[in-house]
Amino acid sequence: MSQPAIRATMNALPRAATRQCLRTMSTASNMAAKRPTTSCLPKSQTQTYQPLVQRRFKYKTVEEAKSRYRSGPFSWKAGMLFLMTGAGLLFYFETEKERMQRKRVAESTKGVGRPKVGGPFKLIDHDGNTVTDEDLKGRYSLVYFGFTHCPDICPEELDKMAIMFDQVEEKLPGVLAPVFVTCDPARDGPKELKEYLAEFHPKFIGLTGTYDEIKAMCKAYRVYFSTPTEVKPGQDYLVDHSIYFYLMDPEGDFVEALGRQHSPEQASKIIVDHMKEWKGPLKKTA
Amino acid sequence: MGWLSSSPDDQRSKEIRSGAVAPSRAERARCWEARDGYFACLDKNNITDAIKDEKAAGKACGEQSKVFEKDCAAQWVTYFKKWRVQDIQKRQRIKELEAQGANRLDVQTDFTPRS
Repeated sequence: MSQPAIRATMNALPRAATRQCLRTMSTASNMAAKRPTTSCLPKSQTQTYQPLVQRRFKYKTVEEAKSRYRSGPFSWKAGMLFLMTGAGLLFYFETEKERMQRKRVAESTKGVGRPKVGGPFKLIDHDGNTVTDEDLKGRYSLVYFGFTHCPDICPEELDKMAIMFDQVEEKLPGVLAPVFVTCDPARDGPKELKEYLAEFHPKFIGLTGTYDEIKAMCKAYRVYFSTPTEVKPGQDYLVDHSIYFYLMDPEGDFVEALGRQHSPEQASKIIVDHMKEWKGPLKKTA
Repeated sequence: MGWLSSSPDDQRSKEIRSGAVAPSRAERARCWEARDGYFACLDKNNITDAIKDEKAAGKACGEQSKVFEKDCAAQWVTYFKKWRVQDIQKRQRIKELEAQGANRLDVQTDFTPRS
């Protein structure tokens, strides 16, 4: 404290200063009481030996003291502390709520008595290699059903899938397998799939098989499709099918379906959030 | 080239039209462009169903129709024409409902159990 400031305080509150001294003398437990000879000298006012009382005189000027009186117990510091605590709690509860919601979504398909989506399958990929559900385990997979002769929705959705995949790869590389399963095995062989998917993303995995294998796959994923069983040579047709992205966890269990209502950004955020909460082992690929 | 065989380009677009091969990205884009041109003409002439009002559509938008048929698979042409009818009906219905004071609901389409 500077000298003029002390003087101002003492002039303004002479009675309080006296009381201060008297109290010091009578308080045996106080640290300052051990040195009573100095405690009442005006010079010693600068020492901080009376925390309780001195708090009232921490103002350097009368104006400051007055303004403190006007504003009462509220100060901008208290206000800030209040707001920050409130914001912090709100943020915590909101994130926790979201986390619980995701957990519920992810676990709603685990265990007994839950709707089972997905399951074992054996198909061939766009290079002609056999792929089973075991090969996809250890990573999350994003499964989409479609066909190469699709007029409008599948190409749009596959472009979306490419954006989603890139965004997820950016945050958590090697944890997501993008899978395209054809609903039209009669026309979509490995060669056709390879050509078709290369235009969307080089990392897309195309799966095909016999009509019965694809039918079983679609049934396991609860996918509706309308491919004709018997196709005459040269006959053109369109396939009506479900248009969801199925997010499957590293154990091959269904997590969540992403649809047309999700933007690629929303969808990739949902996927990444689920991945971050995965506690089990992961088998990353380059 | 003889008069019976055709150039590779013609061959390719013939295969696309018949549905023997799936169109590539560029070919799809060309088809969509032709479709949009054809639909714009139908809009201008107030034709909803190009399959039912074939005569009127052919008269008003014959040229665009030819491009549309050339650049898209035959199946796609039918599909897009039917889709347009449904899309127009859907828009109309939404407009009617909104005029009646209906609120738009975001339908939940995931399998999350409702709490």
